[in-house]
Amino acid sequence: MTSLQPILLAAVLLWSARLKTFSKYAESSARRSPLARLLGDRRAVPAYRGVGVIEAAVAVLLLVRPSIGTWACAALGVGFVAYLAYGRLFAKEASCGCMSAQPSPIRARSFLRAFLVIALALVPVPVSLAGAGLVVAEALLFAALSTELDRHWLVPLRRLKARWTHPLASPGDFPVPVASSVEQLQRSSAYRELAPSLRSDLREHWDEGEWRLLLYSVTHAGVPASVVFAVPRLRYAPTDVRAAVVAESGETLATLHSAAQPEYAI
Amino acid sequence: MDRRALLTSAVLAGATAFGSLAPETAFAQAAAQPVQPGEKDPNFAEGRVTGLVDTMLMVTGSDNTLWRIRITQGTSIWKLRPTTLDKVAVGDGLYARGARLADGTLAADAVWVNIVNLQVHIAALSRNTIHFDHRGKRVVGHVVPGTSAAVYNGTPAIGDMSMVQVGKHAQVIGAWLPDTNEIEIATLHTSA
Repeated sequence: MTSLQPILLAAVLLWSARLKTFSKYAESSARRSPLARLLGDRRAVPAYRGVGVIEAAVAVLLLVRPSIGTWACAALGVGFVAYLAYGRLFAKEASCGCMSAQPSPIRARSFLRAFLVIALALVPVPVSLAGAGLVVAEALLFAALSTELDRHWLVPLRRLKARWTHPLASPGDFPVPVASSVEQLQRSSAYRELAPSLRSDLREHWDEGEWRLLLYSVTHAGVPASVVFAVPRLRYAPTDVRAAVVAESGETLATLHSAAQPEYAI
Repeated sequence: MDRRALLTSAVLAGATAFGSLAPETAFAQAAAQPVQPGEKDPNFAEGRVTGLVDTMLMVTGSDNTLWRIRITQGTSIWKLRPTTLDKVAVGDGLYARGARLADGTLAADAVWVNIVNLQVHIAALSRNTIHFDHRGKRVVGHVVPGTSAAVYNGTPAIGDMSMVQVGKHAQVIGAWLPDTNEIEIATLHTSA
């Protein structure tokens, strides 16, 4: 043996062949793969198993006769690229079905992995300590390019990132939402007294010091008017809510202070 | 704003009650015409905006009813937030409530533009975006900083959305972006 890479490649191919031949998920995996689109559902399963057998054969060849095996492996790699390209173009929803029954859509990483197989097959690595380190690095790169392994390292990392830097967290303080002021308003007795004659939803709102002012339309003595409510903005005190009914001429028709909360309203 | 200053002083300065308010008399209402069971409420309209003429909205209902909706000074317009008529565009969906006039137009009291109310699951989070699963379909919710609010466990709404968690059930009130599967979030009710 003059190169360490065939061992890595053989391991990868055997792993891949195991799924396609012995795994109980082989059939469902075949039906999800682009082969189903290429050959039809019925012929996809035997074809899929056939690919597994070829992969196993190349793996054995890599271990027994590396000089021929590497070329066979490179040819297999080219086949993988063509297969992925077909899947990407014509079976967009299909799962790669490459190395795991885990559904894994065909993306750039799948192509990079197939190119890596070709590169590893063609470039020998001498048997030495540095060479062994290089092969380990290659194996890690291979794992990083495998979407099938994401759930073991990428998904937990993403979860950790989401926990530490929440995507919806924003720096600084938040203004009190209008929905909060409206809810407080609706719990005041002033609102309850006026509610039957309110005609509109919230028309406008603005802040004035510690107050938030909410404007509604109202019918007062049969005439359309506006009612403006003053709600405490930074504290919860529905009993402090005040209201004024203002005619379109600007004349104040009535003012209203909230009474103490009856028990059922709290 | 002059008008706002007037309204503000009316409610905040008015320590003296203008005559004692007798709501029974002052706010007595003509009994609303009851809607017969099975009949359509004549004072309610829904549909997509097909035209805008001055303060009149031309709306085609989902049952192809053609509505003319009159917007007045006292009409409230909601489109993600309380807003004005100039924010309403052709293609928007709306619900309107008001009073039918003799000429067939609906004088709107309140108009809700593009409002949606969805029962969803939170499927994913990204920068200022929440992906919802709504009966197996994906809905993209945009968080609008300063406007979007979250209600956790029924407590008062707050602007901090950072307690939203993937996998939780949620009810979301939002404004649909017409002809997309995207909404802008007004209020998100969820558990934390």
